[in-house]
Amino acid sequence: MMNEHIVRSFEDELNQLAAEVVRMGGLAEAQVNDSITAFARRDVPLAQAVAGRDEKLDVMEADIERAAIRMIALRQPMANDLRRAVGAMKIAMNLERCGDLAKNIAKRTLILAEAEPAGPVTRSIERMGKLVAGRLKDVLDAYTASEVDRAVSVWTRDTEVDEHYDSLFRELLTYMMGDPRTITAGAHLLFVAKNLERIGDHATNIAEIVHYEITGRELIADRPKMDALSQ
Amino acid sequence: MPSDGPPRAHRNVLLATAAGAGAPLLLAALGQVEAGPAVLSALGVAGCGLWLTRRAFDAARPAADTAGEAAPAVASIPYADILENLGDPVMVIAADEPFEVTGHRLVFANRAARDLFRIYRPDVRLITAIRNPQIIELVEEALFGGVGGDTTFETGAAQDRSWTAVASPLAPAPWGASMALLILRDQTDLRRAERMRADFLANASHELRTPLASLSGFIETLRGPARNDVAARDKFLGIMQAQAERMSRLIDDLMSLSRIELNEHIAPLGRVDLSAAVTDVTDALMPVVRAKGVSFAWSPPGRDQIVVEGDRDQIVQVIQNLVDNAVKYTPAGGVIGIEIGAPVEGDAPPARDPEATRLPLLTPEHRAGGAYALLRVSDQGPGMPRDALPRLTERFYRVEGQKSGDKSGTGLGLAIVKHIVNRHKGGLAAETVLGRGSTFSAWFPLSPPVDARVSADAVAKVS
Repeated sequence: MMNEHIVRSFEDELNQLAAEVVRMGGLAEAQVNDSITAFARRDVPLAQAVAGRDEKLDVMEADIERAAIRMIALRQPMANDLRRAVGAMKIAMNLERCGDLAKNIAKRTLILAEAEPAGPVTRSIERMGKLVAGRLKDVLDAYTASEVDRAVSVWTRDTEVDEHYDSLFRELLTYMMGDPRTITAGAHLLFVAKNLERIGDHATNIAEIVHYEITGRELIADRPKMDALSQ
Repeated sequence: MPSDGPPRAHRNVLLATAAGAGAPLLLAALGQVEAGPAVLSALGVAGCGLWLTRRAFDAARPAADTAGEAAPAVASIPYADILENLGDPVMVIAADEPFEVTGHRLVFANRAARDLFRIYRPDVRLITAIRNPQIIELVEEALFGGVGGDTTFETGAAQDRSWTAVASPLAPAPWGASMALLILRDQTDLRRAERMRADFLANASHELRTPLASLSGFIETLRGPARNDVAARDKFLGIMQAQAERMSRLIDDLMSLSRIELNEHIAPLGRVDLSAAVTDVTDALMPVVRAKGVSFAWSPPGRDQIVVEGDRDQIVQVIQNLVDNAVKYTPAGGVIGIEIGAPVEGDAPPARDPEATRLPLLTPEHRAGGAYALLRVSDQGPGMPRDALPRLTERFYRVEGQKSGDKSGTGLGLAIVKHIVNRHKGGLAAETVLGRGSTFSAWFPLSPPVDARVSADAVAKVS
């Protein structure tokens, strides 16, 4: 009876840890969504709010890391349980990076809001942002519901975001070459797009972690990688 | 992963409170089922008692899970059905301690809420259903601050939906936990109507300006210098007619796009025989195809072989737009390939040509074991550069170097295709080889056979 109690409370602790990660995921998701909205609408107060909220994610990441390390040290979990504890820590790390990138988008939005509106490129970046935010949502859904299929489907669709980034990269380059006065704004737009692309990469990383956590095997395959710089 | 363990024993006891009077009102008692997480709680909401049993959840999750557990006795109270069948998602949250956000639990969720947040187990943590920090905060305020509030948020699946969330405090449970009520209201129609009006005006004014400017230019010329020049008048009137037709096509397409967008979040009803739909389109286009000197490669499978879930007119519009494009870009003597096949999976099918560049333009939300029917239309046109692919479904986007006047499209065809396919919860992909042609693939969820659907309904009624 005593034994069962201990086992159950460890299971509880793991569930609690996962719930903390999901909560952090919700916050990171909101930061990414808000940064895209602020960028698309040139919404200065929203951008400032995004930049101000980033600290909370850092605190949450530290809490999750501490809880996971404590759990590993005290309980010495094995196999599945160990993967869950380590997975929580790694996902929190990726989410924290997503938050940093969202904050960076918000900061660039503040600068871009002072310049002339960039026109159709803004719309293209917004579309890319929606795509990236959708991937982040999907992978967090996969984590919450422990669905390997869903995680794998996020992972295999990685190239979509890369294609968008590639297309934007060329477009912005064309603008900047055509009119040097657009270079400052163009450089910021390029970084916004790059940040989105990296958030997409973090979603892919999380998909890999979720897959490993559930199955115990790593996701390996040659996903076609593309790089705008190499062309 | 938050797979929640069995709830604490005291939650197994049925309880009821009447919020209006604040006096606990015991509605029924239930013998505890020892092993199973039998959550049966009755909550007073706005003065009426209601209950929740595991039955509602059992209906929503696979039958295998419930095997071996004794079903609890069910106390039936008339209001429960009303709440369960309400179109708006309704949830009741219980929490023991403030600030322990991850400990808050959903003790009741009606069918609309379970479908929206994919809740398949009773008594889950709130955070596993709803991650949105604003709503979490709102619920926390209602639970421990004792104040209600509302916020707007969007569920960003493929079919975006906008909601207003309203949280309000409830009387505490007898075991001391704080309780709150969360109701969502669907605002999608309202938001879409607003956005549609704005988009329509912006697009219409911008795109109609060019043909309109040309029309008024010709009118001016006809009233002035070319007043008595018969040859010029005939030529100008011809051009003016073409421009007027272009304007009317544009307006048709814009209206059609707006209508589709307005209903994008409402799943279509009906069954469509894909093969018959394709044959209808190819028959209708025969005169155009003959005049252009191109031909179709289309061998239809038998009738009712491939049936998809959908709105027939819209599916025909998808086929029509894709085939129209293929006809437009295929030079004389070329062949337009059309093929359909089933079943395929929800991820984009592999490219036909290993050298082709391909990109999914729309991927359906993941459904376990979902089966789809695939439609492929390929042309023998000039193909497209790779960086054009991500932008194909943008409104009025034209591939550079293909803006020539004889291609008389409105630039909305693929945008319309994408929105229709999205409404049908299907997928869309493009592949292209420069100089050799492009292929568009669209896939739609297969419709289950008619008898299977009837029996599924019958089962749902019995259980």
